[in-house]
Amino acid sequence: MQADSGVEVVDLSKNYGSVVALKSVSFKIRSGQYFVLLGPSGGGKTTLLRLIGGFMRPSSGNILFHDQDLTSLPPNERPTSMVFQSYALFPHMTVEKNISYGLKLRKLPKTETASKVGRALELVGLKGLNDRMPHELSGGQQQRVQLARSLVLESDVLLLDEPLASLDAKLRKEMCLELKRLQEQVGITFIHVTHNQEEAMTIADRIAIIAGGELIEEGSPRDIYERPQKQFTAGFIGDNNLFEGTVMGQVGSDVKVDLGYARIEVPARESIITEGEEVSVSVRSELLQLVDPDDDSLNRIPATYVEEVYLGLTTSHLVRLSNGTEVVIRQVSEDEGFSKFSSGQEVKIGWQKSSARLHPD
Amino acid sequence: MLDEHGKAWSYRAKWAYLLFVVFVLLLPVFYIIYISFNEHGFGAAIYEFTVDWYRVVLGDRMLVASLEWTAYLAVGAVASAVPLGLLAAKFCKSSRNKVPFVTLMLMPLFVPADIMGSSLLVFFKNLNGFFEWLSDSLGVTWFYGWFELGFLTALIGQIVYTLPYAFIVILITMSRYRVQQTEAARSCGATAWQAFRDVEFPQIRAGVFSACAFVTILSFNEATRTALLKGGFDTFQNVLVSQMLNIGMSGESYAMAGIMSVIPMVVIGSILIITLIRSDRLERVARAKAAAVMSN
Repeated sequence: MQADSGVEVVDLSKNYGSVVALKSVSFKIRSGQYFVLLGPSGGGKTTLLRLIGGFMRPSSGNILFHDQDLTSLPPNERPTSMVFQSYALFPHMTVEKNISYGLKLRKLPKTETASKVGRALELVGLKGLNDRMPHELSGGQQQRVQLARSLVLESDVLLLDEPLASLDAKLRKEMCLELKRLQEQVGITFIHVTHNQEEAMTIADRIAIIAGGELIEEGSPRDIYERPQKQFTAGFIGDNNLFEGTVMGQVGSDVKVDLGYARIEVPARESIITEGEEVSVSVRSELLQLVDPDDDSLNRIPATYVEEVYLGLTTSHLVRLSNGTEVVIRQVSEDEGFSKFSSGQEVKIGWQKSSARLHPD
Repeated sequence: MLDEHGKAWSYRAKWAYLLFVVFVLLLPVFYIIYISFNEHGFGAAIYEFTVDWYRVVLGDRMLVASLEWTAYLAVGAVASAVPLGLLAAKFCKSSRNKVPFVTLMLMPLFVPADIMGSSLLVFFKNLNGFFEWLSDSLGVTWFYGWFELGFLTALIGQIVYTLPYAFIVILITMSRYRVQQTEAARSCGATAWQAFRDVEFPQIRAGVFSACAFVTILSFNEATRTALLKGGFDTFQNVLVSQMLNIGMSGESYAMAGIMSVIPMVVIGSILIITLIRSDRLERVARAKAAAVMSN
């Protein structure tokens, strides 16, 4: 049985004159999924969300909700509601009036409106704050009111445009978990835009990486983090080190790559690799190790130790390769407060063959 | 006091200076009002209080008629210039390149009143001639007199004059408005009109009302363009200017000047007082709520 496609984006493009903001993006979001659009600033993710919400008209392509093409409908006629980054509460209305605004437009009876508003306030943990004005609330409370205002409408899809960006780090973490809990509770589709990968990893069922107006890659948080398909994803997500090289040939299920200063072996991918092809290899910093300089086993690269940076739970070691590339090795901090390595010391870095990912792009 | 290191006396001195400047600026106006209540008029050795000059003005049918025309023009100018200014401000706010738009909108302000008035006069004369030619060519009389000098042409002249002011006053108020709020309203199911009515207008209301007051005052005070474009009727300002030029200032003229000065002051003063009372009330409500939260 085919899964219900809550939202489907087909070949969606948006141009501003000669500037291309979005290039033929297509994906499907299952009903009830927490879907995150993740990417660097200016990559097109907010444009994509605003197109889904109907705040912009696409240059080409279609947007389907439950297999119905609603591309030409304005925002008020779509099965969506939206939470904005900030400044979106109506400042001249109380919390209660803000939340009930959409219900008032639907001409719901007063008693029903009051009960729905009460439930929404309880859901977001703001019970009893009905009569407050937006300026009397903290940033976190204001975002909760926005959430309640959207959830009370019981739309099929909730769009969230960097809803936590204006909150401090602690509050952002709390709200992340809260959003996930709320989504599970109400069971509707959430489409959440963020540039913060930790936020994305915490809440997402699926993540789409958007950059340069293109959909780079889509997958579960684990796939995106542990098995990035594209070089961009490897560079953007986690703390990956990238090595550029040339394919020497394939040996069984492995590909031999010449980095110029060392030769390594990487598990082959489904895509066909030809000899002499330029590739990149990514290895996450926590999967790299500083090894004995005399160790000549597979996937060992000589380097010069630069410095260590203590980050609490982990310590980052910075080394420089012979071609000048800097590589970060991240390890769980040891009890000793002094480093085993000194700046300028000759070392070797290494990794298990299965830890590396080959990127032909 | 904004500068907490500043001395209290310097703060008071600044206020005293400000009030002094305003007093000096308004002194001639107050003097005219003062004279308008003197039975013996300007330059008399004796001052005897009277309201007779005002009675004369309000008992003069021609003056009352001119006052009515002035009021009609003001209502027409407000009803036209403020909505047009609001639409222009909305468009300007949503456009990417605001500077050329604002420059074009403010352009009529840089043209001297008599030049603008005479240009419009020539324009309407030609336009009227064109419509008469059109009527004759088509063999109908329907287009006759559309742009003959009269209330419509005077009103258009006043709209051209007051529109930039209405636009800029509303645009300044609108600059604090966040467009995300309109989008949030749309996302709640509001149409574009509902979003404007329920969310945007309450927040720019002060600017729209200020623009109404401003346009009313400008319309009341305008003489040059109106004199050139009015045709067969007179406004209060035109009568006053004509009296001053032809027969000099009389007790009646001072009473008319008093009326023309007091009306704008009352309008602006009322807006200020209402605004102050409102903001004071809102502040007290906010303080009461904050106190309740702090005590919990």
